[in-house]
Amino acid sequence: MAEQQPTAPHPALALDDTVHQRVRLGILTVLSEVRECRFATLRDELGLTDGNLNRHLRILEEAGLLQAIKGYEGRRPCTWLRLTRQGRAALRAEVAALEQLVRRLRDTTTDEPDVRTGPD
Amino acid sequence: MASPDHRPPADTLAELTRLRRRTRANAHGGAWVPALGVALLLLASSLLYASPFGGPTSIEITHPYWAGLPDEQRDPVLSYVFWFVGIPLLFAGTAAWYAWRTRRLGLRVAWPVFAVTGLGMLVLLAVLASVPERAVHPDTLDATGWSAFWWRALLTPLLPVAVAVVALGWVERSPGLAAAGGWIALLATWLCGWYPAGHLPGWAADLLGGTDGSLGGQLALRPGHYLGLMGLPLVVVAVVHALRARRAGALLPATGVTRG
Repeated sequence: MAEQQPTAPHPALALDDTVHQRVRLGILTVLSEVRECRFATLRDELGLTDGNLNRHLRILEEAGLLQAIKGYEGRRPCTWLRLTRQGRAALRAEVAALEQLVRRLRDTTTDEPDVRTGPD
Repeated sequence: MASPDHRPPADTLAELTRLRRRTRANAHGGAWVPALGVALLLLASSLLYASPFGGPTSIEITHPYWAGLPDEQRDPVLSYVFWFVGIPLLFAGTAAWYAWRTRRLGLRVAWPVFAVTGLGMLVLLAVLASVPERAVHPDTLDATGWSAFWWRALLTPLLPVAVAVVALGWVERSPGLAAAGGWIALLATWLCGWYPAGHLPGWAADLLGGTDGSLGGQLALRPGHYLGLMGLPLVVVAVVHALRARRAGALLPATGVTRG
């Protein structure tokens, strides 16, 4: 019986469900570029409603990936969002997994035989 | 954002890159103001010297070099006040600028790192300068090369400025700013650390003058010229940042204040 070659796990397995969701990936990307971002700025940047953004923020906050700081600007309540160290690492890992996936898909496409030039 | 959930990963990555670029342009579009402020402070400090651009036959140098470079100052007290008031004022102006941008854009950058680093280095300079000084052995002044390096000569306000600029480059994710800070530090160390100021070792003098076996020499430049050289990369980086910010519409953000 031939020994099975150990294969590297598929890069898709490295994708994190919490982070990979489209809006959450966008939130983490914006926050990774700044120290803090105002709730309303993030909402406008991603084209979301307050409720929708809140839902995703809660998930990310529960996962320890971001921190919400509530305060006031003048007399108006204002929420500032900040990426945690864990959040930064999670985004880095997600982007690395996506890049690996792109490479893998590209290699697979290159290795496929061209049926038009194949033998008759 | 379009949905990357069911999109090829390459498209997701491309979209994230676009989002990151846009955020970066908005968030870091304000770096040109502190960069220009530091450059102006450096250039203005040339007025602290007795002959910033001329070439006197003899000069009297006092240590520490409160004007910045080892050259004759108009008044050491004036030099001291210039830097110890000018640098905090620069940081106060920077704070006001970033606070205004934060209100406008809703994005906060870690600019306090720039101010804390600069002020911390300035305090360190004041503390180290107050350490009693031993007399300098004349042999040290006659020496050349590394053995002539005098660490106490680095007690110059130019180094806190240089370190603060490097910190600003880190905060604003600008390699150009970090390099401009490194350049200021390099020039300040070379000009202050060795005697006489701007001394070129033999190999460098040979390289520049096309000579062979020279013992070294000096560039015919005065403090004003050197300060111009220090500030030039900062001005270039500030202009590049301002142009980029203008393209991104973040030069003077006019976005209405958003609340949330």
